[in-house]
Amino acid sequence: MTDTERVVINPVTRISGFMEIEAVIENNTVTEAKTEGLLFRGFEKMLEGRSPMDAVYFTQRICGICSTAHSIASSMALEDAFGVAVSEQGRYLRDIIHACEFLQNHIRHFYQYTVPDYIKLPEDNPLFETDHNDFRLPKQKNDLIVQHYFDSLEVSRSAHKMLAILGGKAPHNHGIFIGGATSEATKESIGLMRSISINIRGFILSAMIPDVCTIAEYYPEYFKNGRGYGNLLTYGCFDGYEKLGTLYVDPLVYADGAVSVINPQLITENIHSAWYTAKHETYTPEGEPPEPDRNKSGAYSWVKAPRYGGAPCEVGPLARMWLSGEYQNGISTMDRTLARVLEAKKLTDIILKLLDSLVPGVSLQKEYAVPQKAFGAGLTDTTRGALGHWLKIEDGAIAQYQIITPSTWNLSTRGQDMLPGPCEMALISTNISDTNNPVEIGRIIRTFDPCVSCATHVYAKGNLIKSFKVVP
Amino acid sequence: MNETYLNCPNITMRLETASILVHKAIEAVSANIIQKRNLIWLELTGCSGNIISLLDGADPDFKCLATQMVNIVYDNSLMAAEGEFAMEKLFGMLGKDYILAVEGAVSTKDGGLFNVIGSYRREPITAYRAIKELGEGAAYVIAVGTCASDGGISAARPNPAKCVGVQDLLNRKVIKLLGCPCHPDWFMGTLAYILLYGEPAMDEKARPLMFYSSLIHDCCPRRPFFDKGIFAEKLGDETCMFKLGCRGPVTRIDCPIRKWNDRVNWPIGDNSLCIGCAMFGFPDKMEPFISFDTTKKE
Repeated sequence: MTDTERVVINPVTRISGFMEIEAVIENNTVTEAKTEGLLFRGFEKMLEGRSPMDAVYFTQRICGICSTAHSIASSMALEDAFGVAVSEQGRYLRDIIHACEFLQNHIRHFYQYTVPDYIKLPEDNPLFETDHNDFRLPKQKNDLIVQHYFDSLEVSRSAHKMLAILGGKAPHNHGIFIGGATSEATKESIGLMRSISINIRGFILSAMIPDVCTIAEYYPEYFKNGRGYGNLLTYGCFDGYEKLGTLYVDPLVYADGAVSVINPQLITENIHSAWYTAKHETYTPEGEPPEPDRNKSGAYSWVKAPRYGGAPCEVGPLARMWLSGEYQNGISTMDRTLARVLEAKKLTDIILKLLDSLVPGVSLQKEYAVPQKAFGAGLTDTTRGALGHWLKIEDGAIAQYQIITPSTWNLSTRGQDMLPGPCEMALISTNISDTNNPVEIGRIIRTFDPCVSCATHVYAKGNLIKSFKVVP
Repeated sequence: MNETYLNCPNITMRLETASILVHKAIEAVSANIIQKRNLIWLELTGCSGNIISLLDGADPDFKCLATQMVNIVYDNSLMAAEGEFAMEKLFGMLGKDYILAVEGAVSTKDGGLFNVIGSYRREPITAYRAIKELGEGAAYVIAVGTCASDGGISAARPNPAKCVGVQDLLNRKVIKLLGCPCHPDWFMGTLAYILLYGEPAMDEKARPLMFYSSLIHDCCPRRPFFDKGIFAEKLGDETCMFKLGCRGPVTRIDCPIRKWNDRVNWPIGDNSLCIGCAMFGFPDKMEPFISFDTTKKE
């Protein structure tokens, strides 16, 4: 006789946005998993009719955690549409701003979002009360990481301070714009950023890397769960500089055991299981967007199914670290966490290299004219993975705006292929040791650093939306 | 910036207000002069940008807030608990003393189902229901950021999720801290003032005067360019951004004095412009953000 239980976790805390997970557990093994994104605003529809120039500051408000990412992708899409070439110095400046966001995100995600899963924080503080007790570290080691939990607050915010030196403020920067950045670097600002980077690097080396290794040592079975498909994709970032070459990772994909260079023409979305109708179930991002249809039979989700050459792909730090050859230990819950921490160190190397290459006092801004009719695409990897913005301009205004976010890749629905998305695949077949406290589920989901604010920005005309279901 | 400017009492006093208030509140809590009260940070229909901004607070910082100033009972971004246990902590506050900080607007479409913040006793809890149930019983309600204060970008036309600010749903005073995001000092200073003295002095739109009493334009270091008619023609210029569409002349907040992220910079200091993110009606009434056409007509 099988012992079957249905478990619901809502809210999944320590993620960005609102998500419910429903899992079916049979004999202590997850046999079915469903995640529902529960926040909807409709940015793509809001953007229609607005000035294309405003997209950079507007799309940042999709997400307060990765606003810089959206400013980069929208600037790239506008440059493509306007026919503006970004200079090498312009790329350095805005890539430094972008790298600062990676750093703030990774340090905060590790200490404030991940650590509470494994480390007992002082429970006399109501913020840290938990209802499970799977905390395995000896007191001395536990207390050291608790200390770093608080120390890290200053370190992660110093990454945002560095971001603001060139970006004006964080979250929601003003510095990234068409042509690179609004502000030029000065000797003083370069010096200040260098000193902040070196401090951050010191913390990563002396605290963050040892801490993740300690956690990995006491939770060894997490190297064996949360794998998913093992397909990895990146649009590339900190890559293809004229003078510096690639500092991190080129646009690459790993699927069916082989690495290949990304061909953007192979990116598709499918709406087979999502509440949309279109002439063709599978379409490319440049194509006509599908119309929402909440009553479509057989559909179960608002999240579409992005595919690369037909394959569902994981995106994010592990994908980049693997594809760049920096980390190839494995693909699992703990490998994903390790890759994020090690990527933070890599980013400080990149920032220092870019700072060295900056020429102070180079002005980048011009007066830009909005074309009457144009199309533009901006594809880049960002903190959580591959991000794409595609826009169409007609009569000098935004006529159509499409965004495929990293969390849409990771939280993908089943397409015509009926393959579950990477996140659900990572949950299915997980061993749950105590079904009354299925801590494994939250731990696995958090390694993807899901951003539901980003994944469910899509628009639906006048339809009842109860939830954004990812897997039935 | 020269010292004469920094020594202006209007500027130095305002810079230190939040810090002084927070340190006073912490001292009073630790000496048992005032009670350590409960704080609920309720995230609704928004982008999590205000809690991230709060973590950027330097003096006072988030650690002071979470360990010495208040008991943070609920915050979905940071709390260790999850699922039903987290919701029990939230609704367990009903009938008790708590201060409610809200970030994000409230989606009202289809009974609020566009934003479900959790599941409690097998029922989906919409943002709409959460604010209705927790809003009336709170000792104070603080709307943190422009979405919570006025709908903000979540309510941008055509407002697909039918978002409104918190005030529209509550028959009580809601303190409004506009800004996209809200500066950590604005929140921490307001909260500390409440703990020490109760409701702070506010304007007719319920914005605390200690932060929202002057226009950006009146304190802008580029004001002399405006007065002399020297205007920027593109972003990146170091003169007055007025003709590119700067909303400093209508935006009531202290950014030029306070600046952001450890006071290291701010949008105009970055050779960009103010987009009026701390204004009622943002973003629709503040658009277009950037317009090169107005300079051309000169």
